[in-house]
Amino acid sequence: MIQDAALGLAQASQFSSLVATAVGVLLGLTVGMIPGMTISTGIIIVLPLTFTMDPNISIALLLGLYVAGMTGGSFAAILLNIPGTPSASATAMDGFPLTERGEAGRALGIAIVASFFGGIISFGCLYLIAPQLAELALQFRAPDLFSLVFFGLTIICGFAAKSLIKGLLSAALGLMIVTIGQDPMMGTARFTFDNVNLLSGVHFLTAMIGLFAIPELVKSICSPTKLTRESQKTIGSFWSVFPRLADLRRVIRPVLIGGPIGSFMGLLPGAGGPIAAFISYDYAKKSSRRADGFGKGSVEGIAAPESANNAVTGSALVPMMTLGIPGDPVTAILIGALLVHGLAPGPLLFLERGDFAYGLIFSFFFANIFNLILALVGVRLLVKLLNTPRALMMPTIGLLCIIGSYALRNSFFDIYIMLAFGVIGLVMRWVDMPVVPLLLALVLGKPLEENMRVALTSSQGDYSIFFTSPFSLFFLVLAALSIVWSLVIEPWREKRRAAGLNETQKA
Amino acid sequence: MSSIIRKSFYGVASILAASIGLGGAAQAEFPDKPIEFVIPFGAGGSADIEGRLLADGMSKVLGVPVVPVNKTGGGGAVTYTYLKNAKPDGYTVAWSSTSILTSSGIGNMPFDHSALDHLGQVEFQPMIVSVKGDAQWKTFKEFADYCKANPGKLTIANSGTGSATHIAAVAVVNAMDCEVVHLPVGIKRRNATVLSGEADAAVGPLTATLKLAKAGKLRMLTAPTAERNPVVPDLPTMNELGYPADLDLFRSLSVPKGTPKEVVDKLTDAMIQAAQSQPFQDLAKKNGFTIKPLTGADFDARLKKDGDVVISIMKSAGIYQSKAQ
Repeated sequence: MIQDAALGLAQASQFSSLVATAVGVLLGLTVGMIPGMTISTGIIIVLPLTFTMDPNISIALLLGLYVAGMTGGSFAAILLNIPGTPSASATAMDGFPLTERGEAGRALGIAIVASFFGGIISFGCLYLIAPQLAELALQFRAPDLFSLVFFGLTIICGFAAKSLIKGLLSAALGLMIVTIGQDPMMGTARFTFDNVNLLSGVHFLTAMIGLFAIPELVKSICSPTKLTRESQKTIGSFWSVFPRLADLRRVIRPVLIGGPIGSFMGLLPGAGGPIAAFISYDYAKKSSRRADGFGKGSVEGIAAPESANNAVTGSALVPMMTLGIPGDPVTAILIGALLVHGLAPGPLLFLERGDFAYGLIFSFFFANIFNLILALVGVRLLVKLLNTPRALMMPTIGLLCIIGSYALRNSFFDIYIMLAFGVIGLVMRWVDMPVVPLLLALVLGKPLEENMRVALTSSQGDYSIFFTSPFSLFFLVLAALSIVWSLVIEPWREKRRAAGLNETQKA
Repeated sequence: MSSIIRKSFYGVASILAASIGLGGAAQAEFPDKPIEFVIPFGAGGSADIEGRLLADGMSKVLGVPVVPVNKTGGGGAVTYTYLKNAKPDGYTVAWSSTSILTSSGIGNMPFDHSALDHLGQVEFQPMIVSVKGDAQWKTFKEFADYCKANPGKLTIANSGTGSATHIAAVAVVNAMDCEVVHLPVGIKRRNATVLSGEADAAVGPLTATLKLAKAGKLRMLTAPTAERNPVVPDLPTMNELGYPADLDLFRSLSVPKGTPKEVVDKLTDAMIQAAQSQPFQDLAKKNGFTIKPLTGADFDARLKKDGDVVISIMKSAGIYQSKAQ
């Protein structure tokens, strides 16, 4: 194990891996910053370009993008009061007031440094927990895996907060699409209409390119938003971005709140960045001596959510690597990326490809370091990208979508599939139906079916197998709790939070 | 500036001249453009790694790029269908395997191996019966005796119903003459189910078993193959132990039906040279497959023999639904 860790460190610190990480960080800062471009969109566009690279280099680039995307999201939040990514919403509350006071540089600096510390805390979490969890997960059998995947699916309720019916419809659509292709148990064709291209089913990355990128493109064509020139406004001098010592001292406390909260939320599938950011903002405010400054440009108010949303990244990799269960769209894409390279995320990853698994963990560490350096040094330049004319950007993205969906399986047919999903995505957007449940169903549907059928085969049709295995029972209980949480408790908290925010704004 | 224009003019002119010159000779001179080397399985798997290295070797022999392209799906059916519809000019070859027999048998394509031409076999590897490293069965005989004493108790994992590993597992069980539960868990979970104790044994190709066996996590019991494998010389074959069964996983190259003979000969020659090149031999030693080129009637005999085994086992398991005409 120590040997694998050393090999992994060596792999991650190779020159080519480091360059890939740095490039990923630059891309991440950029896509994170541009409102409307989420990290997921950025990552699916870049992904096909990494197919021909070595797996460790390709994953280093994607991790850099993931980590830096979280930080980049705060730039637009701070400068324009438009969160570049949903996770940066909380940052805008205190970041934008600072910009209005002409202290944009200071706000950006705090956000970058807090991101770094959040990331490092979650690196510790990833490094310590992942190998242990993988060891434990080796004992999981089909019924346990079924219940685990089922638990993963229940987070759909969380993403369906606005309308449960629409969320469940979206998930049901996803589960139906998964049944296209070869029957996982019998090897026979299902719903392929004798079209050989459908035998391997719909690849979820193809579906995802269509679902995420195409509606975005159509939207920008329909409403060519002028990006404000204001972003050019005062960041101040080069050095103003580097935080002062006094500010750094004030950041310690919120980071110590945000980091662990983010790390914990990342472990839970579906909780994700935005929720972690808001919760830690809440706690930082409650425990601060300067609570009345929150919402008016408080340094702590930036540090807490920024450290939290970056801390989510590292620990979200834990269930992704050890169980193969994605917690959010980005980790779902990372699973796809690993599979493209023939690496199956799951407990065996640490056993069979320990060097790669640790390489991934250390690449995550380097991504955080590059993120700190490149963001601090480059933020003044990067912000200029906010003015890139969409007329240049959107056609490029469109082209990359088409190349990407072809490159995935070298199949021209997949381009039509991608475009079809683009239409589905547009329709879903028009009827205000969330796409994330569909996506999660596409990723989790197959293991759900396979494990259920394998479990029932080995129990010879006896359903009690799902309740007699302690692991399985544990996950089923978790699933029940998760459903109760997102249907009963979360809406209630949401209401209270909204009420609380209104009060802050009034005050 | 003008010198650049002049240079590029000469460049274009010479390319034109060359292509006209080649055009006249094109019929005789195969190959004069890149060859597509279609791999039916995903990147990073053993079929992919072995195929890419062979393509590289063939490219050195033929003097044109041999470009590996993964077209996955349907247990190989996607690639075989693509190959069947390709132009029979030798510029499309497929890295075929035992999967061509199984995927037509299970009914995933409306034709069988006779709808394609074959350059021949490149390599093969035995399928290994393995149990957990600390399992109670030290030898295959103990395993078989336990199976006989406890019918329907043992579970054996394979990569999917109708896959080569499933067929091999059925062959093993038929030889033991007992009853087991077959668990079609997929390639990725096949070893994991043995490690977790969910399945008592797994049947998988040697290349996919070797690393975990060396680490002591899996114990290899036997292999349904004709003779002992040089990579694992201590592993007894089933025939030696008195349980006759023989089904290897072979890998071969195929081309569309009707490819001209001189093109086939040239490709076959490149295939054999690449198979016997040093890098390919090194990979064979490291990963555990056996290089054994078989062409012409020899390979047809292998296809016939393995095809009969696959079909008879599929029929006995009630999953034979070939749509081949």
